[in-house]
Amino acid sequence: MTDQIKINVNGSEISSKPDQLIIEACEDSGIHIPRFCWHKRMDPVGMCRMCLVEVETPRGKALVPSCTTKVSEDLVVDTESDVVKKAQEGVLEFLLINHPLDCPVCDKAGECPLQDQTMAYGPGESRFVEDKRHFEKPIPISEIILLDRERCILCARCTRFSDEISGDPLIEFIQRGNKTQVNTFPDEPFRSYFSGNTVQICPVGALTSSSYRFKARPWDLKKVSSTSNCSSVGDSVELNVSQNKMLRILGEDNEFTNQGWLSDKGRYNFEYLHSDKRIETPILVKNSNKELTINETMELISNEILTSENPNISFIVGHNSTNEEYYALNKFVENLNKVENENTVSTTNFYLSDDYLYNGFFNDDYSLGEIKDLDSADTIILWAQDIKDNLPTLYLRIKQAVKNGKKLLIFGHTNTAIKELSEEYYGENIVTNNFEFNVDLSDIPNLSKYIDGKDVLAIIGKASPLQNVNPIFQLVKHLDQNSNLKILNCFSKGNTLGALQNLDIVKGLNEFVTEFDSSKKNIVFTVGSNPVNNSIYSHKIKEALIDSDFVVSLDLFKNETTELSDIILPTTTFGEKEGTFTNLEMRTLMQNKILPTPGSALNEWEYWLILSNKMNLLESYGTEAELNSMLCKDYIDNGNIPSFDNLNKPSNLDGILNSKTINIEVKNIDSTNLEILFVHRLYGDSSSQINSPSISMLGSERFIEMNSATYFGSYMLHSDVVTLIQENNSIQVNVNINENLPDNLLVIPINRRGFQDLNPEKKVELEAAKSREQLSVT
Amino acid sequence: MSWEKALIDKAKEIIDMYPQKRSALGPLLYLAQEKDGYISNDSIVEISNLIGITEVQVKSVASFYSMYKEEQTGKYLLSVCKSISCEINDSRSVIDSVKNFTGLENYETDTEKVFTFEEVECIGACGGAPAVQVNYETVEGLTPEKSLQMCEWLKEERPEIIVAEELQEKFGGVKSFDWAIKDNTGSSYSVPGFQNIGTAKEKS
Repeated sequence: MTDQIKINVNGSEISSKPDQLIIEACEDSGIHIPRFCWHKRMDPVGMCRMCLVEVETPRGKALVPSCTTKVSEDLVVDTESDVVKKAQEGVLEFLLINHPLDCPVCDKAGECPLQDQTMAYGPGESRFVEDKRHFEKPIPISEIILLDRERCILCARCTRFSDEISGDPLIEFIQRGNKTQVNTFPDEPFRSYFSGNTVQICPVGALTSSSYRFKARPWDLKKVSSTSNCSSVGDSVELNVSQNKMLRILGEDNEFTNQGWLSDKGRYNFEYLHSDKRIETPILVKNSNKELTINETMELISNEILTSENPNISFIVGHNSTNEEYYALNKFVENLNKVENENTVSTTNFYLSDDYLYNGFFNDDYSLGEIKDLDSADTIILWAQDIKDNLPTLYLRIKQAVKNGKKLLIFGHTNTAIKELSEEYYGENIVTNNFEFNVDLSDIPNLSKYIDGKDVLAIIGKASPLQNVNPIFQLVKHLDQNSNLKILNCFSKGNTLGALQNLDIVKGLNEFVTEFDSSKKNIVFTVGSNPVNNSIYSHKIKEALIDSDFVVSLDLFKNETTELSDIILPTTTFGEKEGTFTNLEMRTLMQNKILPTPGSALNEWEYWLILSNKMNLLESYGTEAELNSMLCKDYIDNGNIPSFDNLNKPSNLDGILNSKTINIEVKNIDSTNLEILFVHRLYGDSSSQINSPSISMLGSERFIEMNSATYFGSYMLHSDVVTLIQENNSIQVNVNINENLPDNLLVIPINRRGFQDLNPEKKVELEAAKSREQLSVT
Repeated sequence: MSWEKALIDKAKEIIDMYPQKRSALGPLLYLAQEKDGYISNDSIVEISNLIGITEVQVKSVASFYSMYKEEQTGKYLLSVCKSISCEINDSRSVIDSVKNFTGLENYETDTEKVFTFEEVECIGACGGAPAVQVNYETVEGLTPEKSLQMCEWLKEERPEIIVAEELQEKFGGVKSFDWAIKDNTGSSYSVPGFQNIGTAKEKS
């Protein structure tokens, strides 16, 4: 097969890939064919007939839909003939018959393909004088999505998305003929992690999101491209701002990462930016929350560090800082260590606030993979935390790869939700509840069939925060010996890789807890992290912070951690700062600033700079760009550095793949608790989510999961509401039965409210709840 | 109301006839139709669990085809053909006489849930036009008088099982074709009597 074939469009010759659709081939050559239903990331359906073009056939010219017709050598296409124009006018006239034409009150107006194409290709006037069809409008089809069926033109983009792309078809065409409508099943709302994408791809204003309704007009929006912090995939997004308020986040099509899609958390988790609970001035907590100036605060902190005798200075860092901020923090600590002070030797450590941190595979023994390897590998191996909840857009890529024939092998017990995608699911017969192997690796059924001599991409990370990691290394070694292996290190949270690349040595929260020595002088900085919540170590960290001498929190909101702090410093986040982000495949992407900084908040790096100056540690930077050029020197491929200049070049908008040396020092743990698997769900009770009204309630339900044998057998339960008891703690929870789980394993979402006080090393009891109480926490 | 074990077992037998579970959707919807006289939401939930597709996907199919009813039909579904052959042979008067007797407009069901009346497109009995179906059992060569008698008979006798041949003998006229096979089976509710999915009932 030749690489390119020639076709003739509107009298001029263009080249096209064989087997391409006419609409795609034309698009690639800059010839736009109007369309509603066709979307390049979904299968064609030929629903709307807007893309009709004239093609020469042996029987003469014929109108064909260009979205379902493939090109062939020397095909002659006319996209602008009179016949085509007449067809387009006809299609539009029909589409508008039942369309309410309520553009003046429609959110889509101004960016509406139906509006734009009616202007460009429509007949100009309607001959329809009868009554239009009416539906109740709009109806909520989930907590965050509303549907106006009158505006719908039945292109099936949303229903195809939910079936083909996200795999949770909760919306479908109901009825037929004139009554055809998109709808959900009664009492079964469109609760999908990806529902917001349907709003973005809807070519009319039929689907709208509650957070953006009536907020702005498209022509009033200021727009900038950026990278989402939602997960370590680093989804490319477009931030839409009006009057200095973030109003909307749209997915951008980045071939290498999210391919245009976003999870609903990535899309709707922004209202917190403008919450009136944001901290806007430094606060002295221990002095009845007195508000201070930046100067006073920095004075206090530097004095505390300088006057302490041999202090332990710990930095518990989160995953929402930019690479530049991590780098500035690292410089600050480096200089701090160099300070010559006769009676002070400070010990400094970085701890990353991620229960799933382990040493990973970063040395030269293994070759690292990219997300795009999903499309070229023969076999995909998955052993990590729940992908759909923690790396939602990576899940979409995996689903797509499986659809294209890649074999997915899943090791238990976290990815139960996508079991049906897998060729082999290695559950309790292979993997124990303690995440060790029951059998010799060479005896795993069918494993060798799928890996021997094949191209394998292994998405590997800790599946359970409490697991011993030796089996992971054992598996990877086995895969490496038998296949052509590439590894995608699965650290799921935000800019984790940026932290690992730019901080010298990174430890985990377990290290913080075990290394904590209350007999010493302890100064703790929590940097954009809230370790007293959402971690299995939360209760121990809480004790450690109470025992600490001085705690400084850099954060956006008051939370469980700042309650224990001496000083809270207001910082900035996504949208309010410029910097770079490194995703899980070590692709560096740009995060741009479009919002002003609230109150007297500063970027994290500015605090490190001021603090350095206060302590006479002279720093040689003054802007993000200067930090960026300093940190770029450490990248391994020096010709391809992810500098601001390079990243802003049009050819690099999809990011730059480059790596740095990574040092993680996490000690292995020997899990003793066999009965609980702690997981992170997409929605939880993070400060950002509970301060975003549109999605705040999505993480409020408390539930645990187990299979029915455990439910009936081990716990002898009979109620779907149970009380979970551990020592003095008791929590009322719902029980969800999940038959893909092994016997005697309880799954507990640690990032839901109420679970943070559990001690992971102790057993829990379950008993049927005495009365059915309201379980949602608001 | 959820399905009883016997019905679920029957459904599983049907599912086993297909290489893919979801292919059994059509027949299972007939089971639901036979159970309640319409496709209830409870049945949709059962079917969705049985064949592993979402409820709304089941609803999508159930609401697309007009033989799956969204509202409960009467015990006897009267489908009078209004297509061309029957129209030429005066199906209008048959329609009028059925409408007169039952007092129903198109797609209506009486309050006692005895009759549902509908005008339908061609039912494939052109040779014996005009034709009517009672619970999808076809009678051909009807006259307005005969159709009235048939309605009266149904209302008084309330037969449990409707069999085409019996109706034809009692009320029919010209028949398009004689299959020369004695068929004593029919249907018991507004669902076609199919042998292979067990909706066909034998009249003793």
